[in-house]
Amino acid sequence: MDKQKLKNYWSVLSSNNLGMLGVGILLMFLLIALLAPLIAPYDPSVRVGGPFIKPNGDFLLGTNDVGQDIFSELIYGTRVSLLIGIVAALISIVIGCLVGVIAGYYGGKIDSMLMRFVDLILVIPFLPLMILLAAFIGPSFWNIILVISLISWASPARVIRSQVLSLKTKGYVEAAKSIGTNIRVILTKHILPGVIPIALSQFVLAASHSILIEASLSFLGLGDPFTKSWGTILYYAQARGAFLTDAWVWWILPPGLLITTLVIGFAFTGYSLEEILNPRLRKER
Amino acid sequence: MGKFIAGKFVQYAIVIFLMLTLNFLLPRLMPGNPLVFLAGEDVGFMSSSEKEAILDEHGLNDPILVQYGTYIKNIATGNFGFSYQQKRPISDLLMERLPWTLLLTGLGLVISTVIGVMFGAISAWKRGTKTDANLLTVFMFLSAMPSFWVGMILVSIFSAQLGLFPVFGAESAWSNLTGIDRFIDIMKHLALPLTTLVLISVTSTFMIMRYSMLSVLGEDYIMMAKAKGVKEKVIKYKHAMRNALLPVATVFMLSLGFMLGGATVIETVFAYPGVGRLMFESVLSRDYPLIQATFLIITFSVVLANLFADLIYPILDPKVGKNNG
Repeated sequence: MDKQKLKNYWSVLSSNNLGMLGVGILLMFLLIALLAPLIAPYDPSVRVGGPFIKPNGDFLLGTNDVGQDIFSELIYGTRVSLLIGIVAALISIVIGCLVGVIAGYYGGKIDSMLMRFVDLILVIPFLPLMILLAAFIGPSFWNIILVISLISWASPARVIRSQVLSLKTKGYVEAAKSIGTNIRVILTKHILPGVIPIALSQFVLAASHSILIEASLSFLGLGDPFTKSWGTILYYAQARGAFLTDAWVWWILPPGLLITTLVIGFAFTGYSLEEILNPRLRKER
Repeated sequence: MGKFIAGKFVQYAIVIFLMLTLNFLLPRLMPGNPLVFLAGEDVGFMSSSEKEAILDEHGLNDPILVQYGTYIKNIATGNFGFSYQQKRPISDLLMERLPWTLLLTGLGLVISTVIGVMFGAISAWKRGTKTDANLLTVFMFLSAMPSFWVGMILVSIFSAQLGLFPVFGAESAWSNLTGIDRFIDIMKHLALPLTTLVLISVTSTFMIMRYSMLSVLGEDYIMMAKAKGVKEKVIKYKHAMRNALLPVATVFMLSLGFMLGGATVIETVFAYPGVGRLMFESVLSRDYPLIQATFLIITFSVVLANLFADLIYPILDPKVGKNNG
């Protein structure tokens, strides 16, 4: 992507309120994740007080069932949720790009076979399948990422394929083909630059899904027990019956609000990216 | 037409075949003792004759292809094996839990479709206005919330704090209610899980209805009707909405897969005794055969619903039938 194009994207993005809000939210969470040791008053894995303390001057959001500071847990949880979301989305987009570009560029039998396979994956109820796989391979940080990305690549692959299909008919690609340009050069010089913007918006949307899925898996007790995400915090809150007491206000409400805000941040960014890339959408709204 | 259905049928058959094969391979390929995966974590406490019986039952000493044949035959005849943790045949457990899940997801599907269609149509009709923007924002927020969290918040407020609804279960235990009283009891237990399910799944219908309605509103016949001076109400309901509903019909069944997944998590929050909760219980106790069986039954339901959607779609949209044959 050349600089002029980038500048154009930026000018549309910054004129789009939702998009700016989304980017702002993402930057805020990135900052929290990076500066976690500075923001969090305590080490979230250490007992710093009695169990089930109500919020007070020392503990902003009280303590959990084993006396760890909930506020610090949330701050450090940002790292886990954000990292799992981004890495899982990255892997699914790389697979999705690979499948989409191959299917779209080569067409014919390869295309129809790959797309059949994508359709198959889209039929399977994904959350139960992830639960099944996570239960068998065991709960750990990387297994969660593996399980999410194994299934989430299918729908980006479809979107990227259709983009490749339309790029293929562009004059410059046909011209390059007709003068016998190496396939590798066509793919990297002509196809890939046209795919990257779409892949970027798909990545952002995939990240928002991955964060929700990770939260669900962790809530079902399939998260990594050693790296606590927001979903894991809610799992313990549920297991200790926090929703039956006043503790729901400081133990259950905040993690869910954080998940929702982060997902919204990704979604706003993703949708406005799509709008920028698809001028027809821009006019319609 | 027939070709279209046949193609779909083959596709679903392949899905079922792949999932069965995955289920067959998982316990046999994972490192560790396959007995644990076939009989559950309690296998350590079993006597050697019991272990031998399990090995025999699953034919683990047979060649792998013979094992596979036995496995397929068992599933086809509704024999999902035995849950050693719950000490009951798995098919009994499934039959006991399935009605509750069907009640929850069935009602959830209908209600969220009605609400999504209504608001989607309003949003499209008033596109570009404040109403449209507000509706879009609300529905986007709904889809960003974790389902289980919505459930927990609802329980905290409406059950624990206000005492309006029961905290868990599908009906009151040991109450021996009958007739209308039992119905009311069941509905009271259903209210919160159902609300949660509708809240988290309504957005997809809303988005599709809005988009579909927008494209219908741009059609020539709508302009024509407007030019002729047809009343706004008639255009809205008779011309636009009816035609915009078609794409919604396709996702109606397709969203069942999403709903069943969502139900897994929601049933867990409310301890609602459906298949999803059964899956969670089996994950907690590492009862692997039961995890697999619940996954299979959910997959079967989704595939059946998809097939059903494909069968009724040509009836709804005559164009599809003609184009395909």
